[in-house]
Amino acid sequence: MKRTLALGSLLALALTACQPSQEDPIKIGYLGPLTGDFASAGADTVNAAKMAVEEVNAAGGVNGRMVILIAEDARCTGSDAANAAQKLVTVDKVVGIIGGVCSSETLAAGAIADPAKVVEISPTSSSPEITAAGDFIFRNYPSDALKGIALGKFLQNAKFTKLAVISENTDFCQGIRSSVKDNLPEGTTVVFDEVVDAGTKDYRTLMTRLKNLDFDVFLANGQSDATVAEMAKQMRELGMTQQIVGTDTADSVTLLTLAPDAVEGLKPLSVPSLSEEGTGKQFADQFRAKHGEPQFGMFFAALSYDATKLLLETIGKVGTDGEKIRDALYAHEGYEGVAGKFSFDGNGDVEGIPFAMKEFKGGKLVQSELIPLE
Amino acid sequence: MQLLVNALIAGSLAALLSAGLSLVYGVLGVFNLALGQFALTGGYVTWWLHVSIGLPLPVSILGGVIVAAIVTWIAFEVSVAPFYRRHVFLPLVTTIAFSMILDALILLLFQERPYSIIAVKHSLHFAGVYISVEQIFLIAFTIVFLCAVAWVLHSTSLGRKIRATVQHSDAARSLGISSALLHRSVFIASGILAALGGIYLGIDQNLTPQLGFPLTIKAYAALIAGGKDNFWGTIVCAYLIALLEQLAIGLPWWGGDYIAAGFQSVVALLFIIVVLLLKPRGLFSGLRRAI
Repeated sequence: MKRTLALGSLLALALTACQPSQEDPIKIGYLGPLTGDFASAGADTVNAAKMAVEEVNAAGGVNGRMVILIAEDARCTGSDAANAAQKLVTVDKVVGIIGGVCSSETLAAGAIADPAKVVEISPTSSSPEITAAGDFIFRNYPSDALKGIALGKFLQNAKFTKLAVISENTDFCQGIRSSVKDNLPEGTTVVFDEVVDAGTKDYRTLMTRLKNLDFDVFLANGQSDATVAEMAKQMRELGMTQQIVGTDTADSVTLLTLAPDAVEGLKPLSVPSLSEEGTGKQFADQFRAKHGEPQFGMFFAALSYDATKLLLETIGKVGTDGEKIRDALYAHEGYEGVAGKFSFDGNGDVEGIPFAMKEFKGGKLVQSELIPLE
Repeated sequence: MQLLVNALIAGSLAALLSAGLSLVYGVLGVFNLALGQFALTGGYVTWWLHVSIGLPLPVSILGGVIVAAIVTWIAFEVSVAPFYRRHVFLPLVTTIAFSMILDALILLLFQERPYSIIAVKHSLHFAGVYISVEQIFLIAFTIVFLCAVAWVLHSTSLGRKIRATVQHSDAARSLGISSALLHRSVFIASGILAALGGIYLGIDQNLTPQLGFPLTIKAYAALIAGGKDNFWGTIVCAYLIALLEQLAIGLPWWGGDYIAAGFQSVVALLFIIVVLLLKPRGLFSGLRRAI
């Protein structure tokens, strides 16, 4: 009896020792495509988020508390993202979420994180719908609503008037498709506008039809570099020589190994390359040392790193209360990230990250011009 | 004309995948759902040997086929052999499990990047048709290889044994045909055919780790439409479905309107449903008893 009592009191002591939550680690979640069609971007963003957490922990944590990153696979689909977010919010009780990567993920996870008052910062999602996804949903990646404007400017400057588009049926690609159509410069028309199932790799018949049309520029609006490569390749195989433009998914050096000939001259409209000097270079060097060459792109990694660092910095300032974190993010004057200085507008959309037109030239991906947004 | 060529390119891939399936179903009565992963194994190993190691293409293809054959053999011993005599539906589950393991292994070994075995092709243009040298080679190779399989089936003692087992497995066994060896070789042959399909895909398009299951589905579509144990029916249907898919979105219907490209696969599935409604045992089941 005595022994049980002694044990019991020991247990009670141990329990009270756990009580002060100030000593508990802070949990933050990550969700993104760790497997599936877009897992290259998932790998880069999760590695960068891990790097940010490791650095913060190595420097003593957030106000002395260690940080744990719980990564969940959302496979670039809404349903998986919803499951993952549900788990992060209700089981792990995370303070904030970095992700999703695909717009479908961010939207579905946002529908769970927002009512639960958990801040979600997507480093890479660009669907215009995210603007209105909720008060707790942020992103440090420019909306595609703006990308349509940027592409419109490009078409006007380059005097292209007949646009052909093939889009995959995903939130991301459809967002770009409607934004481009809404922001066409005067005199420019869409002469070909087809939507294919997500993941389609056989474009030969669509390209055969396209060949008989009069168009001067083709928008390869695919969800991944694997599909963009097939669009470009099969278009060139049919002897068409028109300019191809792509979006963020074409901003991938992998295209050079998939279809080096076909992508020559292809112009991806994307976010700028990571600066080759200062903190940008420092981050890139560290990332390479730890995780090797990025599978999708260093800029995606940088944005994820910034989002994670910003979230942790904010938690350090205002604590773990969701509403306080939200308010602090809206009020932030401008965060000096490795990808550039950015802040959030009233909808949680990023301000300060511009677009850039890049080009595959002589077997290299180079940045040709910045397209600033008013 | 270009549409026909497009259909030939897509159909040859489906034919390679589904031909093996039809053999396996005919002889073992087993549905193998890891087929797409066998194809990817062949494709990825070939890519690795050719692009990373730098071996010449024929050697790499041979290597890819050999590795895929070994993987298929392991799959048979682990996920088919212990189960299929108890109930033909058991391998349905066990091969799914095996396919998930292979998916994970492929992801682990080759990461998520898409790969292309031959990145630059040599395009030809004649009689209004664009086709690359590689594609001509692939189509020709598929047809030659399928003919070789047909020759084995119809003119060798192994082929006669296979056909006998397809027609009546108990009778064949009572005549002294060793089913254990036969089943293994047929299953491995299906893996080799699938691996060739994967290599085909890696040369013509590119390989991504999550292609496995869609490939399996594609093969099953042809198998079911063609009559489950009918070798030629399956192959004809593979080409037919591919042609239908291309015609559906490549030609104007109803006075100049095109079917939206998103409905491409719906058209193929609709075709299968119609076939099954009219001929529940498959399009070619009435023409011939089995192979």
